[in-house]
Amino acid sequence: MASMKDVFKSLCLGELVSGLTVTARALFAPKATVLYPEEKTPQSPRFRGMHALRRHPDGTERCVGCKLCEAACPAAAITIEIAPNERGERRTTRYEIDMNKCIFCGFCVEACPVDAIVETRFHEVCVESRAGLVWTKDRLLDNGARREEEIARDLERDMKYR
Amino acid sequence: MTNTVSIEIDGKKILAKEGATLIDAARDAGISIPHFCYHKKLSVAANCRMCLVEVEKMPKPVPACATRVADGMKVFLHSELVLGAQKAILEFLLINHPLDCPVCDQGGECRLQDLSMRYGGTRSRTREAKRVVSPKDIGPLVSMREMSRCIHCTRCVRFCREIAGLAELGVVGRGGDSEIAAFAGRSVDSELSGNLIDVCPVGALTSKPFRFRARAWELCRRPSISPHDSFGTNVALDVKDERVVRVLPRENEEINECWLSDRDRFSYEGLNSPDRLKKPLIRIDGALREVEWNSALDYAAHALKSLVEAHGADALASLASPSATLEEIHLLQKLTRALGSGNVDFRPRRRDFSTDGHRSGIPWLGMRIAEIAELDAALVVGSFPRKDNPLFALRLRQLAKKAGRVSMLSLADDDPRIDLAARVAVRPSELPAALEAILRAFARSHGEKEPGSRVLSDTTAPYAETDAIRAIAESFAGAKKSAIFLGAGAEHSPTAGRIHAIAGAFARASGARLGFIGDAANGVGGYVAGALPTGLNAYEMFAQPRKVYLLHGVEPELDCHNPAQSLFALRHADLVVAVTPFVGETTLEYADVVLPAAPFSETSGSFVNTEGRVQSFEGACRPLGESRPAWKIFCALGRLLGLPGFDYASSAAVRDEILVSTAFEGREGVGEIGRVGRVGWVEGLDNALDEAFAPREAHPAAAGALERVSDVPIHFSDAIVRRAAALRETKDAAAPEARMHPTTLEDLKISDGERVRIRQASGSSGAFGASGASGETTLTARSDTSLPEGCVRVAAAHPSTAALGDMFGTLTVERA
Repeated sequence: MASMKDVFKSLCLGELVSGLTVTARALFAPKATVLYPEEKTPQSPRFRGMHALRRHPDGTERCVGCKLCEAACPAAAITIEIAPNERGERRTTRYEIDMNKCIFCGFCVEACPVDAIVETRFHEVCVESRAGLVWTKDRLLDNGARREEEIARDLERDMKYR
Repeated sequence: MTNTVSIEIDGKKILAKEGATLIDAARDAGISIPHFCYHKKLSVAANCRMCLVEVEKMPKPVPACATRVADGMKVFLHSELVLGAQKAILEFLLINHPLDCPVCDQGGECRLQDLSMRYGGTRSRTREAKRVVSPKDIGPLVSMREMSRCIHCTRCVRFCREIAGLAELGVVGRGGDSEIAAFAGRSVDSELSGNLIDVCPVGALTSKPFRFRARAWELCRRPSISPHDSFGTNVALDVKDERVVRVLPRENEEINECWLSDRDRFSYEGLNSPDRLKKPLIRIDGALREVEWNSALDYAAHALKSLVEAHGADALASLASPSATLEEIHLLQKLTRALGSGNVDFRPRRRDFSTDGHRSGIPWLGMRIAEIAELDAALVVGSFPRKDNPLFALRLRQLAKKAGRVSMLSLADDDPRIDLAARVAVRPSELPAALEAILRAFARSHGEKEPGSRVLSDTTAPYAETDAIRAIAESFAGAKKSAIFLGAGAEHSPTAGRIHAIAGAFARASGARLGFIGDAANGVGGYVAGALPTGLNAYEMFAQPRKVYLLHGVEPELDCHNPAQSLFALRHADLVVAVTPFVGETTLEYADVVLPAAPFSETSGSFVNTEGRVQSFEGACRPLGESRPAWKIFCALGRLLGLPGFDYASSAAVRDEILVSTAFEGREGVGEIGRVGRVGWVEGLDNALDEAFAPREAHPAAAGALERVSDVPIHFSDAIVRRAAALRETKDAAAPEARMHPTTLEDLKISDGERVRIRQASGSSGAFGASGASGETTLTARSDTSLPEGCVRVAAAHPSTAALGDMFGTLTVERA
């Protein structure tokens, strides 16, 4: 009896209709795709993209070389060397993040006591070799300089949750 | 036997020694009580209040460091009262302590940080401004830049007063204005100043050379033994990226307790000096060029073999540094003897070798290091204890504190920072006579006849029996445990044998023990390794120039008794093979083959300290560049030369051979010594001399001649220390001056501060008489009342005085 029912159903193309219903629903639903790169998806102020090192408004580096980010990094992607600067302050002589290793967990940002290392919204990176993914101090500072306004705004928005 | 009392801590019953403080009793039971100002080696201050605990029936919490245990005492460490007190104390401390942990070098190993995390509150209620304390400069080793961090525990003040022997730091101001400061404008010049860094519980006193170099958590701590003094101080090497970046003490109650001298602490900078050799060098067409190891070894082996064949084995002489490891010294002497030469030694600063073959055993401290502080009386002969061996001076200071009588017979009245019972400063040539005067005074006061031992001086003029001499003799009367220590000045003296014999006679007469302080890590180890000469000794091998020299770890132009003579011999040798971690400018001049050896931090080995303790260690990091452990270099040379017995798998195999084998090669007349008895101790230590010993003839100095008093400045003692940058900036490393007694200066018609030309015979010389070529140097004359008249104190082991001759001899001074 049951098999008779199945034969009837298949003759009426029930499966096809129910399958096409899904297609039809998707056809008229609002579109989620964007036309990248002309269009971009919205980002959270907490977006964890490529890192940046920030400067104080007077141009001096924020980073005091405490090495907490290096210690916090679960991927051991950060390398820091420190020495006293000309004013005898503790400063980095080398600050590198190996983006090959980085897992963008944001622990370095959390560890930073002076808000020097941050993760920006920038994520569109294209390099020709793996070596290009080792971001040096200059590159990180440069990234910070380019996006300081955005970084400051994002930090401001996140402040009440910290 | 002390009585024990039973107390209860948090309901746990423990037994404590009667009279112990609560904090000690708890520590012995494995319970830690948080504290800042308490330190087990320092007096109790009880000013930090961190160790407050609740005791039953006491109305208020009491400080555990200043409360003695009593039977039946019930102590609570975690009651509400205690936790509240701890939280409040930390809040008080943090009112003025800056929260700059991210830039503080103490961060990660800070007691205040740790205790705040464990016992403190979570937020601060302080809205007021924090106080700021101005930075201070107390020298090149310890930084006092961030004194705002100070919590006034006064550990540093107590350390200076109680351990280092002079109150160089103090508290000035009161209440909120109190500050730790040195006397205005003064630096802290103690040779133990580095310990201030360790005793400071916060980041107020930090290490200057280590400043902002690394974080505590990045370092790999590896145990090692310091090579710089005869105690074999236990150290921990902090390694980062295969480099030693910091040295800390490793606690060993029997040797260094928890202290470390500045030399041991800051010498690591020398290990990373630009002088470190990374590749072997050989002389090609007159210039040293870098080559591969196999070429260098082939060249060295071939040259050694052909020159020994051409000129006979006696043309070869080998000299090892007494700071080299036991294994290295042993292999060097084995190599030399296998080539047929007996010209091998490890005592470059010695002049008088007359006791060789007459000793009953290996000369040593005569007791365990920990026993020094338990003596009743001690006499130190010919030493500048603070500079020769700071930890030895520390033990003497402890002895003087316990009402023991310490006296000194020295070459200059340097301040030892020890409460002395008596002291006499004599000219070097008078040292045996003065010692004998003490012996005679002692014998007479004990109603004995004059000690007519034949070793006593007959050629030297008797020394007048002064009150101080009598005081020294009296200090030994009635002393149950007493000792006579011979220091570097006595060992390097041209009359070392005579001093040894007279000191031995005095020791026998007074029941005291005789000991040698020793001047290098392997002073005893060299004897154990069998590196005693059967041919020419360390002085003769340069006095009678050889064709071939094999040097290990020494820089003869600075390390030898007569640097000018050594340099002359090396410059005229056909072949000089130097196995050394460093290559200085002078080495480049005379060496034909330089093989880069690894220093103590990069090789495994053993040191036998002056109490006969064998301490083996492993390398803390990889050898720099292409340098190799010296024991491997000697093995490779031995194999290339086709000599048997150079197939060792490890340095431990070499050590076991030395310490276990019963017969050593070529130790004529020294007897069966050097076997390990109990594990870790060498047997056969004995300072006695045999009956046949006859001291070397002393040629008295010509009347009116100026005698040279020389010491090895603490921060020039060996090749590593000499290259430590921070130590070179200390006052102890100042360029040598010609120091003289004011009357001597007056006689010479020279005024203080004037430049003077010093001339000294640099050729082979008699004891205090001189002959041969002369060397000269220009130094600044200084008036110095600490010196006896008729002496000029000119430091050895410094490039500016390397042109001069013997460490002790006569010299002339004239206005430059």
